[in-house]
Amino acid sequence: MVSIKNKWNIRCLGDHALVFSLPALINEKIANQLLLLNHFISNKRFSFIKDLIPAYHTLTLIYDIETLFTFLQKNNFTLQSWAEKMIADFEVAHPSYLHLETKKIIQIPVCYDTIFGIDLENIKTNNKISIEEIIKTHFENIYTVYCLGFLPGFTYMGIVNEKIIHPRHSQPRAKVIAGSVGIAGAQTGIYPTNSPGGWQIIGRTPLQIFDRHTSKLALFNTGDQVQFYPISLEEFHSINQHEM
Amino acid sequence: MSIQIHKQGLSDSIQDSGRYGYQHMGIQVNGCIDYLSARLANTLLQNDIENPVFEIHFPASSFTFLSAQIICITGANFVPVLNEQSIPLFTPIQMNAGDCLQFLQPLDGRTAYMAVKGVINCEEWLDSYSFTNRRLQKNEEFSIMKESADSSSLLNNTKTAFLENLTHKVQAHLQNHLPIRIIPGPAWNTLEANSIQQLLHGHFEISSQANRMGFPLKGPVLFQQKSEEPLSSAVTRGTLQLLPSGELIVLMADHQTIGGYANLGQIILVDLPRLAQLKKESPFTFSLVNVEEAHQIYLKINEWFKH
Repeated sequence: MVSIKNKWNIRCLGDHALVFSLPALINEKIANQLLLLNHFISNKRFSFIKDLIPAYHTLTLIYDIETLFTFLQKNNFTLQSWAEKMIADFEVAHPSYLHLETKKIIQIPVCYDTIFGIDLENIKTNNKISIEEIIKTHFENIYTVYCLGFLPGFTYMGIVNEKIIHPRHSQPRAKVIAGSVGIAGAQTGIYPTNSPGGWQIIGRTPLQIFDRHTSKLALFNTGDQVQFYPISLEEFHSINQHEM
Repeated sequence: MSIQIHKQGLSDSIQDSGRYGYQHMGIQVNGCIDYLSARLANTLLQNDIENPVFEIHFPASSFTFLSAQIICITGANFVPVLNEQSIPLFTPIQMNAGDCLQFLQPLDGRTAYMAVKGVINCEEWLDSYSFTNRRLQKNEEFSIMKESADSSSLLNNTKTAFLENLTHKVQAHLQNHLPIRIIPGPAWNTLEANSIQQLLHGHFEISSQANRMGFPLKGPVLFQQKSEEPLSSAVTRGTLQLLPSGELIVLMADHQTIGGYANLGQIILVDLPRLAQLKKESPFTFSLVNVEEAHQIYLKINEWFKH
């Protein structure tokens, strides 16, 4: 159990961003606090906020300098005093926010056939574990989405059981196919589009997890709970949403 | 009513002030890497300062005008020629149907902008015309949406004192040889003392690998007291990352939203256009600035654009 009371840290990221952070751990409770803070600040709809980006133990706020200054002067704040007030107000409002989100678990089909799981052999050799056990270990866990990044819709999830923790390839592949499910250290993730990449690929989902033409854009949000379930090659092809 | 890409350049695109509000989904901001030259081009044409513009690198695209347009070129001087006659930068120019605009050589600067009077008609997605890796293609055509007002007055030979002054100030800012200013970041204190000295006093150059995503730098190799990979968090334009090899990279407009390399600091917003105009063989140095100063400099430069 990590105690996070009074552990908030606020710092500037250059001249146009502010970072709220908690201790640097991959921890669901910490990630949750940052999501609640994200929710709390974004609901206030400050005109100077251009982006709010949660990732693991940080929430980064990108601001427009000119709009921010108009706001600070009008309300008699400095950037520091405003940020501190946000945290103080958040801590007070907190209890009413705690139960706001009922977490649903998003179920994601994955075909772990070695046609797609091109690094299963790799992990089998290095981690001295059977392919069946790698697969079972991967889909038994429920993962938290800690952030989206790298590519539009790319999902960083964690954390995988230590039996299947494996570092990235030292030399990234030139092309990883869209839908590929991979492992990097204790993280697992899905490639939304074809891209170069260094994660250890263990399977592929037939679902399209990012579509720039839909209003939702990404299938996942930071904070979502995700569980994978195994499907056969036949099932993969019958669901396949990727452009061939 | 359109402009056609006659010859395709190496990496030219349409950019505006970028796409904000979607970085939490991993969607990059994009936008002009020299926002000052882009604003200047739009201001000289009395466009909205955030209108999309053509961002041009060398070897540059050439353009055929299929209808009369008024254009203005700012930023780098790639020696623009209209039907083989050289034309000035920072000046509204009348283009007629059939005219061909070429850029001959990279005389000065790294990034040129061409604004067109009106709005370039191109795909808009999530409130921006900017995209990652969408280069201008040969034969691609862009129509121009015109406002109703008569724009012939733009072509008067004399610039107003305001525009004259603005052009002068922007150019003086972009071309000065003062250090590039950085605000120290979370990994600053992880550097070895000697590396801090080298970062503050050494000479750096932009590597030939530079692109809109990031500018890798050539210069002294820097070392951390102990190398630790920080948990990934948001990065932003101007983030100065230390790679495991000890080399530096400055993140530019097409940067990824999240980064896991050591973050040594942030180049201040107003100095990114200066970096975007530095040629690869031009050495530069860094100096430190604090957030309050950076804000004041940014606000002062914004004032230049206001009547």
